[in-house]
Amino acid sequence: MWGYRKHVERDLARWRQAGWVSEQGAEAIRADIALNRGGIALPAVLATLAAVLIGFAMMSFVAANWQDMPRVLRLGLLIGSLWAAYLFAGAMIQRGLDGFGHAAVLTGTAVFGASIMLVSQMYHMSGNPPDAVLLWSAGAVLAGLAFRSNPALAFAMVLVAVWSGMETAQRGAVFWPFLLGWAVVSAAFWWQRWGPGFQLSAVTLTGFIVSLGYLLKTSLAQEIVTALGVLLGAAAIIGSRAQSEWAGLARAIVPYAMVITFAGLFAQQFFDMTMLDHFILLAILTLVLTLAAIWWGLTTQNRGVLWLGYAGFSAEILGIYTKTIGTLLGSSVFFLSAGLIVAGLAYLAYRLHARGDAMEAV
Amino acid sequence: MKQSSPNKIWLAVAAVALAQSAVLGWMIWNRTTLLQTGREIVAEVIPVDPRDFFRGDYVILGYTFSNVPDVGLPAGTKTGDVVYTTLKKGDGSKWDVAAVTRDYPATVGPDQIVLKARAEYVYVGPQPNQLTGRLAYGIESYFVPEGTGLKIEQQVRDHKIDAVLAVSQTGEVAIKGLIVDGKRVHDEPLL
Repeated sequence: MWGYRKHVERDLARWRQAGWVSEQGAEAIRADIALNRGGIALPAVLATLAAVLIGFAMMSFVAANWQDMPRVLRLGLLIGSLWAAYLFAGAMIQRGLDGFGHAAVLTGTAVFGASIMLVSQMYHMSGNPPDAVLLWSAGAVLAGLAFRSNPALAFAMVLVAVWSGMETAQRGAVFWPFLLGWAVVSAAFWWQRWGPGFQLSAVTLTGFIVSLGYLLKTSLAQEIVTALGVLLGAAAIIGSRAQSEWAGLARAIVPYAMVITFAGLFAQQFFDMTMLDHFILLAILTLVLTLAAIWWGLTTQNRGVLWLGYAGFSAEILGIYTKTIGTLLGSSVFFLSAGLIVAGLAYLAYRLHARGDAMEAV
Repeated sequence: MKQSSPNKIWLAVAAVALAQSAVLGWMIWNRTTLLQTGREIVAEVIPVDPRDFFRGDYVILGYTFSNVPDVGLPAGTKTGDVVYTTLKKGDGSKWDVAAVTRDYPATVGPDQIVLKARAEYVYVGPQPNQLTGRLAYGIESYFVPEGTGLKIEQQVRDHKIDAVLAVSQTGEVAIKGLIVDGKRVHDEPLL
């Protein structure tokens, strides 16, 4: 990661000047970064892309020349390239070229998936396509764990999402086994202590919870989603105040809770058939929650929450505007009341803020 | 990747490559066993929705037992559920649905055969409380060499094609080959 290295370089110069770090210490830190962080640089990214391209090239070559090859040869090719990819990964990792190693592991995982499809094709199996994706995902998890390879685990999570999406589309109902697959891959991310992996876990789970609003066979589906979002958000905000290692995690959860809450509220207001009085209550609730989120984002310096808050506020206003055009209520009345509410909240926030400053001054 | 000892890495290589090869090997072994030991039946292939007919290099095959309008599906069947279809031999290569059950039937007549299926669509009708729908057996795609799909498609439309199927004791079914105009073609060696 170049950005990280540059950042540390800047800090090191400062720390050296302050006399906190000796020249030897600075050298050791640089060497450590070069060893441990160097892997995720441009060459590794290019290697990953190359791996994907080579994988595709090989598979399309095999697929195109399929009928000219005896079955044994096709199988040999598939299994041979599988082994070649993982052996190459082993050799790269042994030489300390982790980036290339990750790329090769990813190639091996891709070859595994392509092999499942080509074997199915060879024996005219049309079975249940999601089953094949699940099997592929299991292979990716195994490779990710054995090689401690984050890209392979990330790919496994994508496959879990694809698997569950296909099953959901087929059934038109909630596919609960998703949670099991999600938990397995998330546990692997946890074991690896990999931040981007947690984000991926959060994104997929958020997508699942939002989908519940449309798939649960109850008229209160969106209300349930909204309640889940609010509870999750409240728990995360309370958790973020705790003085423990969980505080950071809790802070990271807040934006996802916001997305869930907003998705539920938005669907209730604009997709469901809602009575006008109910709609007004929901709109006020949405605006208040969005503003509260913006306020929380401001006070805790959480930029993600802040931007989500602005986006949510804009979407809500746009939705209200579209919905209230030509209705009994009239857009102008609504915006007037919304404006007054926001103004009131601003005043309240100002008072709270002033009191906070006063207390600090004492 | 924080492997401390070099041996650990080769252990990882061996574990992953072996496990994934084993999965592929198991898939193939499973299929070849079924093709070798399964009871062979010949079933008439019928055209399905022409829009879906030919996609890329495989032909979609429909069967007389893909739709179950008369006997109905077991109560409570949902899309994606596994069911067992008992087929009864009709005229020529025609097989008719005798019953669809949740479990593999206890008794199977000599002129009957049981196939495992997955409910693809389920709907109510024609009578109230009757569930009908479309079943998938995993034998609906036939992969062909590039460019020959259209010809087979036409032959399917002309009702000239029969499928040779292998059926296991548990109802698993696989395509062994095709019969076009009474001649067995597209039969491939097992390996």
